[in-house]
Amino acid sequence: MALDLKEMFSDFKNGLWAENPIIRLVIGMCPTLAVTNTTENGLAMGLATSFVLISSEIVISLIKKLIPANVRIPSYILIIATFVTFVDYFLKAFYPGIAESLSIFVPLIVVNCLILGRQEAFASQHSTPRAIADGVGMGLGFTWVLVLLGAIREFFGMGSIFGLTLLGEWYRPMVIMVLPAGAFITLGILVGIMNYISREGK
Amino acid sequence: MEKNSKKAMIITLATIGIISALLLTFVYQWTTPYIQANQAKKQKQAINKVLPGVVEVKRIEKNGNLFYEGYDTNGNRIGVAFTSTGGGYNGLIEVMIGVNLEKNQIYKISILNHQETPGLGARITGKEYKSNFNNKPFGNYNVVKTPPSKEMQVQAIAGATISSESVTEIIEAGLDKVTSAYGGGN
Repeated sequence: MALDLKEMFSDFKNGLWAENPIIRLVIGMCPTLAVTNTTENGLAMGLATSFVLISSEIVISLIKKLIPANVRIPSYILIIATFVTFVDYFLKAFYPGIAESLSIFVPLIVVNCLILGRQEAFASQHSTPRAIADGVGMGLGFTWVLVLLGAIREFFGMGSIFGLTLLGEWYRPMVIMVLPAGAFITLGILVGIMNYISREGK
Repeated sequence: MEKNSKKAMIITLATIGIISALLLTFVYQWTTPYIQANQAKKQKQAINKVLPGVVEVKRIEKNGNLFYEGYDTNGNRIGVAFTSTGGGYNGLIEVMIGVNLEKNQIYKISILNHQETPGLGARITGKEYKSNFNNKPFGNYNVVKTPPSKEMQVQAIAGATISSESVTEIIEAGLDKVTSAYGGGN
């Protein structure tokens, strides 16, 4: 099996923009809308999801030939759930603050359709190196949009970014931005802008 | 063995399940001490916060409830801290309350766990709201929307009246618990 670096790079790049999970494929919306009320939460969620995505893509691409087609979905879910439980314990043990603010959304990574979707669409049909490239690309693509969403919402909703206050006392925070409605509004505008940019490029 | 036979399916799922369980057992054993230490630390910090000047804490069980009795350097009991839990706007709220039983007064409160709306109800953890209860006498409180003018009034957080009232009720329930356990506050 020869390593095709060009192919791997295009798999990697795919997730960042052309098939970005959030702004292009519009999958994994539950954590996207729920936890991006601060920049830090967005980053932590993005990294946790990326870790699970990359690890399970590696394992599944390695054992894809051993899994009978009829039970592939339960097998994938078992493998994903193992990594998610690991992340859950890890965050609770070493980053209790982040674990607390992400609360229920860490165990819910199991049902993030981005992860299951990539196993079914990519890892189960491609070699391990390409699966890693896809996992890293998709994970980073997911993370950068979450961080951007979190930054926009935190800036307008609390006047800060990464917990650093940027706007002074005079600023009256737009509370709606940290509420679920703010997530829908920001995401809608963001997807609109991205669509406009990619259409202009053509 | 045929690849999609029942036997192959069962063996595949069972194998994955066993390996997962085995790995997670190690992860669980590795992280549990850290998780417990974090929780103990959080509770200890909360006790120190709600009982000013405490140096020694004793765990005591009364009527099936846990109380943390705080003593100062001379071994005098300065107060009792305990948790009280109740429903909030989004989920359970757990409050640590420190009380002075000699004066029938609250020292301070601290919010241990909550799931209130960020930016609104989550401000129950803020100093501004919590200070409502500093040195308040035991009794029934009145949640008001303007700066409190009477002793038993508690100022609600703007836009989060339900959270403010929930915490007040949780505290009232907690005070009943401590007064009945310590015999009417003696």
